[in-house]
Amino acid sequence: MLSVSNLDVRYGQFRAVQGVSMNIDQGDIVSLIGANGAGKSTLLRAIAGALPIHSGRVSFKQHDVTTTSSSALVKQGLSLVPEGRRLFADMTVEENLLLGTTVKRSGDWSIERIFATFPNLVKRRHAKTGNLSGGEQQATAIGRALMSNPDCLILDEVSLGLSPLVVDQVYASIDSLKDAGTTILLVEQDLERAIRFSHRAICMLEGKIVLDKLTNDTNKEEITHAYFGLQQSKHQEASQ
Amino acid sequence: MMNSLVQAILLGGYYALIACGLAFMFQVMRIINLAHGSLAILSAYLVWEITDALALSPFISVLMILPIMAIIGLLLQRVILERATKGGELLPVLTTFGLAIVIDNLLFQQFGANTRSLSPYLGDLSWESYEVFGLWIGKLPVIVLITAIVIIGGLDLILRFTPLGRQIRATAFDPDTAGLVGIDARKIAGISAAIAMMTVAISGTALGLRGTFDAYAGGPQLLFAFEATIIGGASSLWGVFMGGIILAIAQSIGALIHPQGFLLGGHFMFLIFLFARIYFNRDVFSLKHWLSKRNEKENAA
Ligand SMILES: Nc1ncnc2c1ncn2[C@@H]1O[C@H](COP(=O)(O)OP(=O)(O)OP(=O)(O)O)[C@@H](O)[C@H]1O
Ligand SMILES: [Mg+2]
Repeated sequence: MLSVSNLDVRYGQFRAVQGVSMNIDQGDIVSLIGANGAGKSTLLRAIAGALPIHSGRVSFKQHDVTTTSSSALVKQGLSLVPEGRRLFADMTVEENLLLGTTVKRSGDWSIERIFATFPNLVKRRHAKTGNLSGGEQQATAIGRALMSNPDCLILDEVSLGLSPLVVDQVYASIDSLKDAGTTILLVEQDLERAIRFSHRAICMLEGKIVLDKLTNDTNKEEITHAYFGLQQSKHQEASQ
Repeated sequence: MMNSLVQAILLGGYYALIACGLAFMFQVMRIINLAHGSLAILSAYLVWEITDALALSPFISVLMILPIMAIIGLLLQRVILERATKGGELLPVLTTFGLAIVIDNLLFQQFGANTRSLSPYLGDLSWESYEVFGLWIGKLPVIVLITAIVIIGGLDLILRFTPLGRQIRATAFDPDTAGLVGIDARKIAGISAAIAMMTVAISGTALGLRGTFDAYAGGPQLLFAFEATIIGGASSLWGVFMGGIILAIAQSIGALIHPQGFLLGGHFMFLIFLFARIYFNRDVFSLKHWLSKRNEKENAA
């Protein structure tokens, strides 16, 4: 479904993503994990066509999309919910959601279904998104992406700044996508939740992938070690 | 006195018309198009040529140049502005300034120094008037004012309530995120430039119908458009409409005070608004600001 090989993304001279390769199959649920500044958002934005790629390749549904624009990728069925929601603050919830239909992909999602999935939005339908709570904004951002009926949904920091209760609600709604066979790649800081929710965990450290395992074959400890880059030092300790 | 006020409002309709394209382009693409006035004069010449060659009414000719100017707008975006905006904020200003000079000179070479007008092709309409409460109000200026209201109102409705309008607003607000929701920012910029140039075509025609123009008349038209935009605040098209009216009223007050004071009055008003916008909270000028204030008071009560 989505395949990345040897990807390099740079800000000027700085290599934020270095030689990243991964393969995600149709229907996979993958958590991307990593400390602040590990390059998660950079990787996801580059995949979604919002950042120029320095070298390497991205392919989506067997087509090369390395230089494809973000809007064309949405049309092909790949949507990113960006970090920080990035709503159009002076527009209403409904207008933000309607923007998601720009590419006119056919599918099950409609405005009414979004409101059924996120009941907290119903009474906010005509409110400017700049005035919403964090949870309502996140629901709008996810809803906006869903309106394009994506085959592959990428979510960057779904739970950032939300109360635990709201995070549960948001995950419950993403959960319903699993059954529809949507491929999901998400960034989650809460390791336990990431392990519970996804089939696979990919951990990034300083722009590189340091761990890529099925969640059944790994545990919190191993991921934590990868997260802080402790693996090498443990080997060193052992060899001493 | 009353007569000057009415004439000023009618003239303000023309200023609003010429300003709305400039403001639209600024709002949507963050570009100040210094070739705006020259392109309006180009349109006026095109209408004049077609009207003269085919013996048509100028009102028909302007419909014929609308698609031509739309294509010019699209090309302007694709060939010049798109590249220029990649080079920073200053480059679009410099390139459109250069374009204005090129257009002015080409028009001068082609059409010479003689002034022209479209009013001879209008027949009686060029002088016909309504009599209202003892005032004589020219039909043509009224038509121009109504055209301004219809165009500004139409653009406002498109921006607010249509998918295209939403996409234009989203692109103006945050082009990166607009791309991530599937909006082709390049297409939107092209369409916006085409729309702006269609308003330019109409305002150039309005200028030719109301009076005379020559190859170098673009500069003053740009100035009026710019002043009306700043006075009205570039953030809303109805604000720009009010800006056009205020500019025209200031000019006629200037003319009442001193025979040479017409332009000075406008510049003076422009400077007052410019400084006020720079030094005070810019919101103070918007209707919304005062309305929301009233709502707050009502809520508190
Ligand atoms: N626009 C930018 N210009 C320059 N450097 C940037 C830019 N955006 C991010 N970086 C740098 O690139 C690196 C990776 O950033 P990125 O946002 O991808 O990390 P992240 O893993 O998403 O972190 P977080 O968990 O904080 O969201 C960081 O060192 C960051 O400082
Ligand atoms: Mg990030």
